[in-house]
Amino acid sequence: MTVYEDLCEKCEELMQPFLDRQLDDGERAKAEEHLARCGYCARRYRFEETLRTFVRQVCSESMPPELKAKLKALRTPL
Amino acid sequence: MSETTPSEARRLATDARDRVRFEEEALELADQVYRVARRLVSTREEAEELMQETYARAFRSWRSFTPGTNLRAWLLRILTNLNIDRGRRKQRAPDEQPLEEGDYYLYNRLEQNSGDGNLDEERVVERLSQDDIVSALSAVPHDFRDVVVLVDIGDFTYADAASILDIPVGTVMSRLHRGRRILKRELADNAMVDA
Repeated sequence: MTVYEDLCEKCEELMQPFLDRQLDDGERAKAEEHLARCGYCARRYRFEETLRTFVRQVCSESMPPELKAKLKALRTPL
Repeated sequence: MSETTPSEARRLATDARDRVRFEEEALELADQVYRVARRLVSTREEAEELMQETYARAFRSWRSFTPGTNLRAWLLRILTNLNIDRGRRKQRAPDEQPLEEGDYYLYNRLEQNSGDGNLDEERVVERLSQDDIVSALSAVPHDFRDVVVLVDIGDFTYADAASILDIPVGTVMSRLHRGRRILKRELADNAMVDA
């Protein structure tokens, strides 16, 4: 991995903007080129995507049905 | 009292219809608003109170909503303002900077902890429990957590998050990136992971 080390460091920095689709075309192409050759970074990118989905799922708690009724009761009477 | 003129009556009818439409649309979004509210505060009770205050205020001031703009963001703007006004957030001491590690830190720690050193990166998250994630998120300081919750759980754009929190888009981005790294550091250090 020593040859890649600098590139991997850069790739780690670019991960969030890459996954958020915030990179310009040039940066994006550079990151993609590195990811195609570097399993180390590619695994960590895939992990990040899975983690984001997982966080969203487990943190989404449904509203208690009684609360919906309470909110409806706050409407202005006709 | 004078009789209402026909044009006055028409205006009142239109007004009532617009209000009813607003209220119905706001209530349809309540589930989505609650999902975000629940993660901005610590307890379910707080989230329920905050929702009721938010909807009470929204129903009172419905005229200040511009139809055709993002109603969910408008409701969340009221909600986050109320949350701040009520002083629910404990003020962080200015010198207390949350610990932060790089973006690969959590994966590296998980890999270290796994016996075989060969992780399936799409299954390894299953080693983290729901409780781990929820408590790690609640350990992220408010300024960072608000942004992470709006973008990663509420699915708001950077621009919407900026307008909800009344901060620049650049601040949204830097808090989001730091907030996610703090979350992963929390998970790595405190949720670890009985492999």
